[in-house]
Amino acid sequence: MALPLLLASSGELLSERAGVLNLSVEGMMLTGAFAGAVGADASGSAAVGVLTAVVAGLLFAALQALLSITLRADQIVTGITANALALGATTYGARLVFGDGAGAKTLPGLDPLAVPLLHEIPVLGPALFEQTLLGYLAFALALALALAFSRRRTAGLAVDAVGEDALSADRSGLPVTAIRYGTVLLTGVTSALAGAHLALSEVHAFSDNITGGIGYLAVVAVIAGRWRAWPTLLACLVFGLAQSLQFAAPALGLHLSAPLLVALPYVFALLAVSGLVGRSRAPSGLTVPFVRAS
Amino acid sequence: MTAALEVSGLAKSYGGTVALDGVDLVVEAGTVHCVLGENGAGKSTLCHAVAGSLTPDAGTLRLYGQPYAPRRPADALAAGVAMVHQHFSLVSTLTVGENLRLLRLPGLAARIARVRETYGLELEPDAVVGQLPVGVRQRVEIVKALLRDPRLLVLDEPTGVLGPAETDALLETCRRIADAGHAVVLVTHKLGEAVRAGDAATVLRGGRVAGDGTTKDLSARRLVPLMIGRAAGDLDATLAGAVGLEDPEAVGPDAPGPDGLDDPGVLGLDDPAAVGLDDPAVVGPDPVVPGEVVPAAGPVRADDARTPQGAALRLREVTVRRADGAYALEDATLDVAFGEIVGVAGVEGNGQSELTAVLGGSLTPERGRVELDGRELTRALPAARTRAGLGVVPEDRHHEGCVPALSVAENLHLGRLREFRRFGVFLDRAALGRATEAALAEHDVRASGPFAPMASLSGGNQQKVVLARELALDPLKCLVAAQPTRGLDIGAVAAVHARIRAAAGRGAGVLVVSAELDELLTLCDRVVVAYRGRLLGPVDPRAADARERIGALMVGVEGERGAASGVGVGAGA
Repeated sequence: MALPLLLASSGELLSERAGVLNLSVEGMMLTGAFAGAVGADASGSAAVGVLTAVVAGLLFAALQALLSITLRADQIVTGITANALALGATTYGARLVFGDGAGAKTLPGLDPLAVPLLHEIPVLGPALFEQTLLGYLAFALALALALAFSRRRTAGLAVDAVGEDALSADRSGLPVTAIRYGTVLLTGVTSALAGAHLALSEVHAFSDNITGGIGYLAVVAVIAGRWRAWPTLLACLVFGLAQSLQFAAPALGLHLSAPLLVALPYVFALLAVSGLVGRSRAPSGLTVPFVRAS
Repeated sequence: MTAALEVSGLAKSYGGTVALDGVDLVVEAGTVHCVLGENGAGKSTLCHAVAGSLTPDAGTLRLYGQPYAPRRPADALAAGVAMVHQHFSLVSTLTVGENLRLLRLPGLAARIARVRETYGLELEPDAVVGQLPVGVRQRVEIVKALLRDPRLLVLDEPTGVLGPAETDALLETCRRIADAGHAVVLVTHKLGEAVRAGDAATVLRGGRVAGDGTTKDLSARRLVPLMIGRAAGDLDATLAGAVGLEDPEAVGPDAPGPDGLDDPGVLGLDDPAAVGLDDPAVVGPDPVVPGEVVPAAGPVRADDARTPQGAALRLREVTVRRADGAYALEDATLDVAFGEIVGVAGVEGNGQSELTAVLGGSLTPERGRVELDGRELTRALPAARTRAGLGVVPEDRHHEGCVPALSVAENLHLGRLREFRRFGVFLDRAALGRATEAALAEHDVRASGPFAPMASLSGGNQQKVVLARELALDPLKCLVAAQPTRGLDIGAVAAVHARIRAAAGRGAGVLVVSAELDELLTLCDRVVVAYRGRLLGPVDPRAADARERIGALMVGVEGERGAASGVGVGAGA
């Protein structure tokens, strides 16, 4: 779970830094997973599936951007509504496309590629170095975004300025609206890839609500990471580790209650956002629409 | 000369409010062109139209002869028009250097060095903007505008937050920019500055051009009636101070001489003999003697029905530290007697905000004592302070002084709603409305009704409501008013000053914290100066050299000559 979470939150981090709270990242992931599944099923090729997922994610993100940036709708309301819509639409769509048979239809998926030598490292090896091509790509993309939009680079500064004080950014000559659109569309791409990864790399099938709240957890990871790239990455790993404990605990001989383990990432998330990980401060302009009129 | 900027027929209205109504203006290259006017005259709207922050409804702009129609600030910047915003265009969570890098200019370091060499403007690139004093932020804002080497620089009310020495340095910078061949538009409501620094001036009133000309032809005395639309003779010293005239005698009611300002010849603007630029009595640094000009400003002592002994407000060694460990207030000690008006002057960021916060109860000092009429209130909750008779008009009207989304009635009576109960639980809105209407009438507040939203009132009327609420305390032992007239037009300034004087006249001690030195000089019995968290002085505002002495204390020079120490913009920080 850590990889899709990381990918989704790397995009979410950018759009929140630019001042747009993309609560619909869950819906974007679900849309990406569904579109990826349909594309792969129809074409017989997982690569086409990934491409379909990206296109669908972009369209979904464009809708979210139009609502929250141009039409200045409440970002929390639009986000939750978009998620509900995505859940309903993909569940219904799955019935239409894959039928409502008991077993989910197996899709042409992506196969893991083991990195020679490295994957033999105990515990870490299989977790990190037995990913699919999409998995490695996802990890590289998350890293690239973190580096490209670091605060030390003008691009990262511009994103932060737009999220902190859009009016001043505008007066400094920055294209506020374009930057916000760009970050939301980017979130659409990363979230759709995350969804496609779930459906095509991990499960090789689409099931109802396949994302199961990972999108929401991505939003939480950004908060827990205090809107900084590396702490957010760390938060994703911790959440992912807590999740994988569900499967690893019996193997390790630990007898922990399963429901408790399911709840563990969310418990970590709650602790993180309640300030136990350090004081956090959201970008001043988060969820505040930009209006130039003075 | 070539025209750097030609504005013709510029009009803009917001909803039903007309901000600009057919404004024509020509700014020559190589000059400082002042735009004068009261609040609401349309000065800021004009600036924003030129800087691309808003699109006018009608009218055209030409920049160095070329048609110019910026649709966004980026267009204006690309065309070589930079603006120094009244409330800055800096991202306060970023450092100075990061803010400058946002401009994405090639050869940034060389540009910064050039601005430093040309104008003597120094920067601390690693300081976080939000932690800098306002005067220093202003300097960053100016450097930011100059980095692009603009052909036209627009400054919107740049001196409002500066001390005298910083203002001088800023006006000098404007002069140098103009001498370098660029054009400067300097927006201000202070006449003294315009006459001192400007080559030409345009006076706006109600969105129209009320008059224009070179500053040689337009003396301060002729500008005043243009700005306020009535004879300058109606001005008392306080109002003269509010428009930045340093010599109230030149326009005051007691002004001697045959060319009195009620003279229709002056108003008709055909009297070239009116006091000119070269007359030091108008623009020179000569000290004023406000106490003699305005007897009303004198102290009115408490009658003995109130506690005759002891101070209304007593501060002892009040010390506050900022998050970074620096002292915001250090051993601040002050007494305010009943019936006395004490002023706190100083460049912003020298502890005035913390002083008000300590008195209002939103900040607990590290050590020290606050007493009201002998009763300790150092750690008392705001409600306890109100009950004890301490009225506080906070610095930030919108965030601390009132709740803009609530009605005027609710704002006025929020702390006393229990007086308006029916059957013990319901609010008696009729009684609330009646009480509010009475208060609005008494304080001359213009609102559409007692239940009009606070946000629908103009700044001046909002401030009158806040003041009315604090003055309604019974007993009112002490009133603390922080920046009570900031952003208000001249009429509202006069009303607020009258109320403050009346409160002192009824025996309350009054502490006025203000960045406007002229306001303090005309209003107060004593003036102390906040400098790096300490309260220096006091200075008697009636003393002949009061202005110089306060100015010197504001930049931390205890001696006689503050201006001689060569301080630049922001040096007081």
